[in-house]
This record gives sequence, C-alpha cells and structure tokens, in this order.
Amino acid sequence: MELDRSTILNALAKAVIEMDTDAARKLAGEAIRLGVDPYMAIMDGLAKGMDKVNELYEEEEYFVPELLVCADAMYAGIEVLRAHMPKEDPHTRKKIVIGVMKGDTHDIGKNLVKIMLDNAGFEMHDMGRDVSYAKFVDTAGEIKADVVCLSTLMTTTMDGMQVVIEDLKKAGINSKVLIGGGPISPSFAKNIGADGYAKNAAEAVKVVKGVLQGISLNSVLFKDKRELVSIERNIGGKR
Amino acid sequence: MNRIAEMTPKERFGAFLQGKEIDRLLVSPLILNYASRSLDLKVREFCTNGKNMGEANIACFKKYRHDVVYIFSTTSTLAEAMGTRMHFPEDDSPQVETPFIQTKEDMKKLRIVNPDKDGRLPVYLEAAKRCVDAIGDEVFIVPVIGAPFTTAAALRGTDTFIRELYTDPELVHTLMRATTDSVKALIDAYVKAGTCPVTVEPIATGSMISEKHFREFVLPYLKEVYAHIHSYGLPGVLHICGKVKRVIKAMAESGADVLSIDDIDLLDAKELVGDKVCLMGNISPADGMFKGNPAIIREMVKDCVAKAYDNPKGYIVATGCEVPINTPHENMVAFLEAGREFARLPIDTKKLETEVKPHFHRTTSEACVH
Repeated sequence: MELDRSTILNALAKAVIEMDTDAARKLAGEAIRLGVDPYMAIMDGLAKGMDKVNELYEEEEYFVPELLVCADAMYAGIEVLRAHMPKEDPHTRKKIVIGVMKGDTHDIGKNLVKIMLDNAGFEMHDMGRDVSYAKFVDTAGEIKADVVCLSTLMTTTMDGMQVVIEDLKKAGINSKVLIGGGPISPSFAKNIGADGYAKNAAEAVKVVKGVLQGISLNSVLFKDKRELVSIERNIGGKR
Repeated sequence: MNRIAEMTPKERFGAFLQGKEIDRLLVSPLILNYASRSLDLKVREFCTNGKNMGEANIACFKKYRHDVVYIFSTTSTLAEAMGTRMHFPEDDSPQVETPFIQTKEDMKKLRIVNPDKDGRLPVYLEAAKRCVDAIGDEVFIVPVIGAPFTTAAALRGTDTFIRELYTDPELVHTLMRATTDSVKALIDAYVKAGTCPVTVEPIATGSMISEKHFREFVLPYLKEVYAHIHSYGLPGVLHICGKVKRVIKAMAESGADVLSIDDIDLLDAKELVGDKVCLMGNISPADGMFKGNPAIIREMVKDCVAKAYDNPKGYIVATGCEVPINTPHENMVAFLEAGREFARLPIDTKKLETEVKPHFHRTTSEACVH
C-alpha cells in the first residue's frame, strides 16, 4: 500500500519515537520519492517525533539510552533528506556555542543538550569536551554566538565557568551564557553571573528560548520566588 | 540520660552491623580523593602510588577521625585494570581516555582481572594494607569498587554502552558477566587484605537509565555481588548518586544492606525502602561541602538527621557523593562536628526541631563518573 504524505510524516515521527533507525532512513527515502518537501519531512516528521521524545524524557518515561537511540534515528533520517535540500540561509538561525569545561571529559549531558537545541532549530557549534576558556570566547566572538552553553560534571572545573563569563564580557562579546551539569545549581549560576541554568536537556530548550527573549534570570531560574529568597538567605544574603 | 561511652570508629561500625547498642550514628563523609589534602599531595601523586595513597588516608583519619576510611580514586579503576586507558590530570581524579572495547572483536580480549598485577589495583591494595596495619584496629578500611554496570560502561565507553541496552543487549550481558566476575575476584583480594570492600554503581543512576533497564541489566549482577560479599560475613553497601527515586526499590532488592544515596529526599527514601535497608547520605557535596560554609553545612546535616534518624533499618550521616577535592578544611570540620552532635544517641529531637528547616536546593547530579 502506498503511503500518503500525512501518513509518512506521522510514520517518520513514530520511527524516531520507537528508536527505529532503519525505518527512519527508509521512510525518509520514501518521502523524497513521494515529492514531500524535505524540510517539511524534518520539521513535521522527524523533529516532531523528537519533540515527543523530549516530552517523554521530561516525564521520566524515557531516559538517556532512549534519548540517544531516538536521536540516532532522527539523524539517520535527516542525513537522507539533507541531500535533497537547498542550502539554508545561515543568517536566519540563532547560533549557539556548546562545550564541556577544560579539565572535564564527561560529555553525555552536553551531547543531550546539543541534540535538543539542534532539534529546536538552533545552529549548533559543538566545541567538544575539555575545552579551553579561550576557545569558548574566541569561537563565540568569531561566529557572533547568541548563546554559549557551558557544561561540567565536576566540582573541580565548575569555577572555570565564571572565568569564561568574565572573559566574554572583557572581550566585549554579549552572548548569553547558559550553564548546567551535575554539581551546578541555580544559586551557583546566579552567583557567577550566568544568564540561565537548566537542570536537564529538556529544560535547556525552554531556558535558552526564555533567555533570548530577555526573560530575566530570576524568573527563568526560580519557579518560586520564595525559593530564591530562601537560597539567598542561606548563601549569606548577598545580592 | 543513659549514654554509653565514646566508641572507636571500628567498635561503632562493628556494633552497628551486629545491631548492638552504639553511642551515636555513624558519621561517614565520602572522603575519597580529598584524603590527598591531608599530606598536601596532588591527586595524581596520591592515586598512582600505594605508599602515598595509604599514608594520606592514615594522616586524614588521624586528622578527622571519620567513621570509615575509604580507598578510592575513580569509579573506573577496575575497568582500567581490565584494559581501559585512563588520563591522569595532575590534580584531579583520573578520567577515561580510551575505552578498552573499541569493536565487538575486542570482547574476545576480556579477562578476569588479576588484582595483584593489573592496572593500579596493586596501588590500591598497598594503600589498603598500609591503612590496615597503621589504623586497622581503630577503623574499618573500605576500598571502593566500581560495580559491574559502571565498570562495563568504562570498558565500552558510556554513550556506546548505554545505546547497546537497545541495540545489542547480548553484548551488554556478555560484558556484565565479565565485569561481575572481575568484581568478585577483586572482592576476594580486598577481603584477603583485611578490608571490607563496598561497591558504587553510578552509571545505573535513575538520571541515566529506567527502572526496567536497571532490573534487566543491573540488578541480577548486583545480587550476585552482594551474595558474594555476604559469603564473607560482610555487609553489602551500594552507592548510586544522581536521581535515585525511580530505581531505589530495585536497589533495595539487590541484597545490599546499606544504600548510599544522593539526589532524593530522605523522607521519600525512608518511606520507599526504609524497612529493608539502612540509608546513608545525602548532604550536598557541591552546594554544601565545596561552596557552602560551616553554618550551611550544620543546617544540612541537621536536616538529614532529622529526616532519617528513625529509619527502621538505620541511618548513616554522609555526603551524597564524593567530598569535593577542594573542600575547605573548616567545612569538613563543621560536617563532622554537626554529625557528632546531632547523631548522638539517644537522638535529641528537641535540638533537631529548634531552628526552622531551610529549604535547600539540591543539585541533580547526572552521574558521578570520575
């Protein structure tokens, strides 16, 4: 039976949600054959599936392995479709630099955030792991990054985030800075002058969007004003 | 008030395990690489030399008299001994550089570990023996072993390995078989050295995998590990950091007697598994020990004791995960003093209630895999 267009978009989404890389690849080819706009096949098919995956992750139905395998399926489909797409105007997408702090090689969390932001339509510049402070600053300056995302899992490398934030300012680069990772808390983010903090990959998309719309740090970081007051009191009340 | 005289850490731990009367709850911050600071050693000097590792832990115990002396540098030490290549920063815990199992063909190269020869296990064994000789009559020496799932992840590379829970479950089980056998061989060596080994399984955290995967790929092997430890008459201790609420019931089915936990409300933990296992935790390492101050830490300790002192199967005052290497000395002192004060038995519940409990934000460690 021939698949019609709306069926094929749903099937692409389903392939991603069900972690079926082969199906995603095959359906992407089928979409091209049926004359579906490749951009639509991504946005209303694969990416829509990934949005659902993000939801399932937030609801703790899906975990890290599911997320990674779903993303593999999505990228397998995108690879097929991309060959049939016109080059995109690079000026239309917001640019994000992302990487793991110098001294730290744990990058699973960073990779999850990258997948989610990529899926949300941002142009991602992945610096990898064990990234020097200067490389973050230089890259952000070169590409005029809208956002810089810093990740770490270690207490020994978390203080470097403040260095990057200060160096960006000194260099006159006004990219927003989002931080996250195991030892990072909202109060730490606030203390070092970060623009945003996200506790997981699902939340990162919301926080980045919020920060880019100029929503202030406090309302993004703290769901409850009392929590903020309480944290400030405990940290010593310094504003 | 009917108080018994102050016990040594070893008497306290021993009495606790036998269910006898103790003077206070155990106070056991997870002092691991932090011990290097007691001899002003860089972490690399500490963890690559058995004499340094042993002497630093001895000096650290003499300084703090904490209730358990752990021997540890990274959760990947067993994987390293089985073939994974590590990177040793000068002053930070070692990290995986090149996982051993690069291709499926490499699976054939897997061997059960030889603790007397492989990797840095001889360093750990020497450190452990030095501690047993010097302070073993006062405190239990407890080497920390990366449990089967965590060791398997470090052998295969974590992101490849956890994908294979879906794409190649057979490989995962084969790898788990090999790591479980090596964990048991290492337990044998540590017991022979007069120590009481414990296990950490942070890659199986609820921040990483589902309960379904935990039950399928982690639990059967952990059961085997604790049965093995029990065969020596020793207690099973399972540490998993990160979010554990979703997996804590399965953790309690592993046969472990003590669960060392991080990101979960102790009240929830008590309700979910308190009738089965002793709980241990969960003062925040980053916001408390590292970035906090003595006043904050005192509140955090009190909060934990208030929540868990009446846990049916007992409670141990501890940090949720490793004490950060650069924790200020005064913060460590504050932790121990608060622990000794609030955990003195019988618990002074009035003292626990006197101040308003603040709400602390807890960081959500994804997994502690250094």
